[in-house]
Amino acid sequence: MRWNHRSVYAFMGAFILAFGLSGLAGCATETTEEAPVSQEESVADITSSLDAFAGLEGDLDIAGGTAHIPVMEALAADIMSANDAIAITVAGGGSGVGVQQIGEGLVEIGNSGRELKDDEIAKYPGLELHAWAIDGVTAIVHPDNPVQELTADQVKAIFAGEITDWSEVGGNSGAINVYAREEGSGTGETFIEKGLGNGDVSERAVIVTSNGAMKTSVAADAAAIGFMSIGGVDDSVAAVSYDNVEPTNENALNGSYVVTRKLYSVTQGTPEGLTAVFLEYLMGENGVTYIEDAGYIPTYAR
Amino acid sequence: MVRRVAEILLVITSWVSSLGVVAVVVALVAFLVYRSASVLDLQLFFGDVAWPDAVFGGARVLHGIWPAIAGTLILIAASSAVAIPLGIAAGVFISEYASGRFRATITFLVDVLAGTPSIIMGLFGFSMILLLRQTIAPDAGTGLLVAAVCLALLVLPYMIRATQNALEGLPAEMRLLGASMGMSHSQSVLRILIPAASRGILSGAVLSLGRAAEDTAVIMLTGAVATAGGRGPQSLTDKFEALPFKIFVIAAEHNTAEELSVGFASALVLLVLTASLFSLTFILQRSLERLWKA
Amino acid sequence: MYVVLGTAAAIAVAAVLGMFAFLAYFALPLFTADGFARMIDWTWRPADGSFGILPMVVGSLGLSALAMAVAFPVAVAVCAFAFGIGPRQPARIVMTIVNLMTGIPTIVYAFAAAIILPPLLRAGFEGGTGFSLLGAALVLAVLVLPTIVLVIDSNWQGLMAATRHTTAALGMNPTQHVLGVMIPASRAGLLAAFVLGFGRALGDTMVALMLSGNVPLVPESPIDSVRALTAHISLVMSLEVGGPGYQSAFAAGFILLLTTSAISIAVRNMGRRGSSGA
Repeated sequence: MRWNHRSVYAFMGAFILAFGLSGLAGCATETTEEAPVSQEESVADITSSLDAFAGLEGDLDIAGGTAHIPVMEALAADIMSANDAIAITVAGGGSGVGVQQIGEGLVEIGNSGRELKDDEIAKYPGLELHAWAIDGVTAIVHPDNPVQELTADQVKAIFAGEITDWSEVGGNSGAINVYAREEGSGTGETFIEKGLGNGDVSERAVIVTSNGAMKTSVAADAAAIGFMSIGGVDDSVAAVSYDNVEPTNENALNGSYVVTRKLYSVTQGTPEGLTAVFLEYLMGENGVTYIEDAGYIPTYAR
Repeated sequence: MVRRVAEILLVITSWVSSLGVVAVVVALVAFLVYRSASVLDLQLFFGDVAWPDAVFGGARVLHGIWPAIAGTLILIAASSAVAIPLGIAAGVFISEYASGRFRATITFLVDVLAGTPSIIMGLFGFSMILLLRQTIAPDAGTGLLVAAVCLALLVLPYMIRATQNALEGLPAEMRLLGASMGMSHSQSVLRILIPAASRGILSGAVLSLGRAAEDTAVIMLTGAVATAGGRGPQSLTDKFEALPFKIFVIAAEHNTAEELSVGFASALVLLVLTASLFSLTFILQRSLERLWKA
Repeated sequence: MYVVLGTAAAIAVAAVLGMFAFLAYFALPLFTADGFARMIDWTWRPADGSFGILPMVVGSLGLSALAMAVAFPVAVAVCAFAFGIGPRQPARIVMTIVNLMTGIPTIVYAFAAAIILPPLLRAGFEGGTGFSLLGAALVLAVLVLPTIVLVIDSNWQGLMAATRHTTAALGMNPTQHVLGVMIPASRAGLLAAFVLGFGRALGDTMVALMLSGNVPLVPESPIDSVRALTAHISLVMSLEVGGPGYQSAFAAGFILLLTTSAISIAVRNMGRRGSSGA
């Protein structure tokens, strides 16, 4: 096979140029929206309330809690559809990452599913928390698992590694596979503090790093037990009732379900500019649909 | 007798291994195609945006994987822009101008760099940004530039080695050629040796592109995000999406079966991209060897 | 010309040195009586103030060792196939596919395996979560296989040319040629390939992160979960900057760098010796 290296040069050059340039072309030929978007019905509903963002421009970088992601992404998509001059990036990583990134100033908004720890407050003074939703954390098991109710003590013992077989809590005999979250996780800390009474989590627990990963791991393992944000629970896993209380966000609201936390967005000091508008929007009347769609309870008007 | 048994064992093992390896590769590709079949259409890439608008017009694609593709392409272009020229120059220098102790030291450094795990480059990039923020550049942040530089560090040794090997693999007579015509060393290098080795150098460049496209660990810590405004990064400080990171995020955080299929499709796209680049490398490498084998 | 190239080379060298220098600088807080010693411990429990990374060292070494135990024999067997035992056409196809394998990104292996493997392992073995030393090592083996094969291949090309006629004249068949001549004569090259593959397995992050369970304990059996140093680094990057947990990333990085550098040097030396021997 004879390959004329000149033709390869040309091919490669064209390849890189075409795609490199087209990607960068986006910035040269910015599609500016001079007039507001068309006033057709459903679009008008969104755009009229998104008027708050009209005329604004800039970048907004968001990172942190994985429970917050569905809300962030949905809201960001709508804002960016309405205003082409705004660019919002969303990253996950967990509450620990959220606090670290906002603390170090690497993002404009850091999401956290827990309050700041003492050493975080000490290291990053001036961080402000903005709560916008109430969410619970529930233990979850595989949907085929006959054990769907546990007492608080049983939950503690299972996660601590003291109860190791499903038969000990009324299930089919077989080892219990415990899944837990990484150290900085807000979901994790809430569960450990309020669900396990600050008890230990077995060293043998498999560590996963997001609510989504927890859900897929438990959904795939018939002997698994884990915990996740109530808002994200769906048919692929079964939420375990805790001390006879159903783990729903309504129960979280009325206080009967105790393993709860708020979802926070953290900023450095008082938010300004685009960040401020974004948070106001999220925490106000307009944010309610996004929050409820994700399964959480908005703090708005509470 | 033992000898005979050993021979039979070897024959069996070699057949089983070879068939096994082929089976694994075929199964992997088939699995990816099968699991992504349900979503493989234009909508996967561009959502409901017309593709010329997205690719050439900078229209936002909020529900397709195009931003990740664009991000990957821009990323490899940026990191190669740094690594390729630097790597070729360094490779030529080591091969043609450095000698003795000096040469051995640089080669040693290149070796060490080549063996360094990629997560270390990511660790370096992240820590560097924090340091810069505390000292000379308080507005520094993770983004395209940092990621590209760290990726450049990652692929630099490949580029240097490829250039070096290509030059060293040239027949000895080539070096006499220039001298016999009265050329200086530099002229000989520039006009005879480098062009002769160009295939090997090119193969190294393509290898660098491929390696930069596939890496996840570096970009994970230096600016890759889950969603980034529906298009590729617009400036050096922008955070970006990238195919390998998108796959990682979907693997870790997918909520629906459809999302998972998108993940498989992304994996397939990335696979096609890197496999093409690596195959190109291989073809170029082979043609270079054949050229100089006489 | 010398000046231009020299400058470029200098920049490249400076960049590399700079990277290592900065890493050392960031790791500085570790090199106090308190710092590093804390990390040389068998317990990792940040909540209790334990920051030992030794389980991760064992995890990394175990993963790489197990991966090589699978990959190395398979690689030699594949090369044996390609260098005589297999018929011409199939041999070429096999080698082409192995070459193509080098283009498969680790994230693709890790992703596909994360979906397929854990359920299989759970079903096949009593107990365990499927996220295990074994699972991760198997995938790593597939990952590093092409590297090992290609190194042995380039080593054997020359050897084959040199010995082919001799063995044919002696009446040896291809199998005997490989078994009796190629393998014994290329010991240095085989060792280099092994070490190179080991280093590659050691440096991988994504497979370990997604398949090994990330449990910071020394494994007692292949189906136990482990945590690799590389995965550990990415996991602790989200901890408080400057705190002992975060710093352990640098300790882990330091150990990794030391090991992979030693491997790189060893391979380079073996290469030099091997070409003058055999």
